[in-house]
Amino acid sequence: MLRDIIRKEILDNITSPKFVFTFLLCTILILVSVYTGVTNYGAERKEYTAALALNKKNLESQPNYNSLAGIGVKVNKPPQVLGTVVNGIEEAVGRVAPVNIAADPNLIDSKYSSNPVFAVFGPLDLMFIVKIVLSLFAILFTYDAIVGEKERGTLKLALSNDVPRDRLILGKAIGGYISLLIPLLIPLLLSLLILLIAPNIHLAGQDWLRLLLIFLMFFLYLSVFFSLGLFVSARTSRSSTSFLVLLFAWVVIVMVIPKLAVIVASQARPIPSVHEVTAKKDAFLQQIQQEGQKTAREWIQQQQTEAAKDPKGFQDRLRKYIEDLQQDLTSQIDANNAAIERDYQLKKGAQQTLAVNLSRVSPASALTFGSMTLARTGVDEFDRFLASVRSYKPVYTKWINSKFGESINFQTGEMATISIDDMPQHVLEPERLSRSLLRTLPDFGLMAVMILVFFVGAYASFLRYDVR
Amino acid sequence: MLEAIDLTKRYEDGMIGLDSLTLKVEPGEIFCMFGANGAGKTTTINLFLDFIPPTSGTALIEGIDVHKDPLKAKRHVSFVSENVMLYGNFTAVQNLDYFSRLAGKRSLTKADYGEVLTRVGLQKEAFDRRVKNFSKGMRQKLGIAIALVKDAANILLDEPTSGLDPQSGREFLETLVQMRDRGKSVFMSTHDIFRAKLIADRVGFMRKGRLVMMKTAKELEGADLTDLYIQYMEEEPPVA
Repeated sequence: MLRDIIRKEILDNITSPKFVFTFLLCTILILVSVYTGVTNYGAERKEYTAALALNKKNLESQPNYNSLAGIGVKVNKPPQVLGTVVNGIEEAVGRVAPVNIAADPNLIDSKYSSNPVFAVFGPLDLMFIVKIVLSLFAILFTYDAIVGEKERGTLKLALSNDVPRDRLILGKAIGGYISLLIPLLIPLLLSLLILLIAPNIHLAGQDWLRLLLIFLMFFLYLSVFFSLGLFVSARTSRSSTSFLVLLFAWVVIVMVIPKLAVIVASQARPIPSVHEVTAKKDAFLQQIQQEGQKTAREWIQQQQTEAAKDPKGFQDRLRKYIEDLQQDLTSQIDANNAAIERDYQLKKGAQQTLAVNLSRVSPASALTFGSMTLARTGVDEFDRFLASVRSYKPVYTKWINSKFGESINFQTGEMATISIDDMPQHVLEPERLSRSLLRTLPDFGLMAVMILVFFVGAYASFLRYDVR
Repeated sequence: MLEAIDLTKRYEDGMIGLDSLTLKVEPGEIFCMFGANGAGKTTTINLFLDFIPPTSGTALIEGIDVHKDPLKAKRHVSFVSENVMLYGNFTAVQNLDYFSRLAGKRSLTKADYGEVLTRVGLQKEAFDRRVKNFSKGMRQKLGIAIALVKDAANILLDEPTSGLDPQSGREFLETLVQMRDRGKSVFMSTHDIFRAKLIADRVGFMRKGRLVMMKTAKELEGADLTDLYIQYMEEEPPVA
């Protein structure tokens, strides 16, 4: 009997115009989004490789270490291959982090800054399609699952037989879910094929696992709306009421809660603005530079008698002194910036955590954060990259300071030509899957709990549903 | 056999849906229940199908208490409702197939479905047409076919002739008579006095949830059923 009910439900759905419409739209949207993702990734990869070569050439072309120290190095953020399906904040944050002695590294040159019109519409990635379009389809498939049968009189007719209600709701849920998956699975499989055959996409073993987990998250997200639809359908006596309730719930879940969470968090945990932080850093920089110049002048004055006696020895001592002073000043600046930054990051982190946790009440937020973590295109990956660049900065400044001191001939004022062969390189270790998975467990868990709650609600409601 | 023993339904708002109905519909009998809207006809059917629980009393199908063992009781009853829309995207045969499977009939062939559909007067060309394009009469015929294919000993019909054209109405009556002749107990709620008079073995009149009069076909001979209907609908229930 259960099989008959499932079969009927699938057949009823797939012969309906809404199925044809859903299938066509899903196929077009999903394929277009993956194709666009693949093309964009290819272009970004090319851009990244070109930027690396250009940076190297630019560094090598500097006449001396002084000018090298002036321009600093640029650390480029590599594009993530899974950005093809979950773009995350890849385009919103910068792609380059300049590292130099004076300033604290920050990401600049985002795609949105170069073409702000992108920011208006956002990316059409697979996550967006699932979050917005397919969740609406899930509602479309379920809003009249129970109440529609009541209106058609088929519920009475079915229950005039010895059909247990629990079996009927179970059959309807399974059949309805399969019907919803069909228009999703076929284009998703085609998308996987595109990823498999695209020449510029190279997915490692772990990337495939991440992709499967992202897809699993998509299915869980749609199941939340599916079970919610079933629940509301089993609680209402008119399909129009059911649709309106679900539409309202969708707007609240997908649109309102995530934005409200950010507003609440910013009010509850305020943080200083970026300008305030920069101003603080600049003030200290100016102060330390003035102190440094004063100290250097005093030292040279003290050493004048000695310099006249032994110019060669003085030059060596001066070189050593400048190198040490520079290192000391840089360390002080770094330490101060790090302290300001630490304080800012702590406050920002607390605000961010509050916003994320508040918004996780909505499965749409859980999907957004979870899938971005798995695709390595989220806020956490951006923070991780920036942290790695900031850890790299002292290593780089130490190297450039040593080179700077070594290369100056204080008598002639000449500077040695540069060599960047021994320049320390920035390395970013990719986050392990186990770590990403651990961080997405709350998202998986929350969605699973919601599915369970809504389904049990639908089940219990249907057992007492007035079929008249 | 369908039997109601002191069957009462009082709704949460205090309204009486059915007041102490005691009734027996024997095998091979057609019982037609008349009454204005809200008189309690559909409530009686809903109680026999366990769609609502009784406040007191018992509804029995083949001696099985419907409220105590609804699934077992429902094996012995078919139901034809008023204005059933069925599954519009399905053909007549697909609808029939689904409901016959729910009724436990799994071994029926397309030929069997064709035979039943022909019996209820559905045109052959309509068998594989989507039901959403059916007229009300055609849907009603399909609803009757669904009840027929279950082949239960008892049949409950809730205003089945509403919306049927004269030809379909006549075919429907013939089908009901065939069912009675095969020993089925038929309970039909209706406003259709003229058709009911042609086939009913007994009729009952309901008013405000109470069965206020019951007459056999023999007692109705020569009587004007319309006058009786109007008279009983207007009068206060007589003391039993």
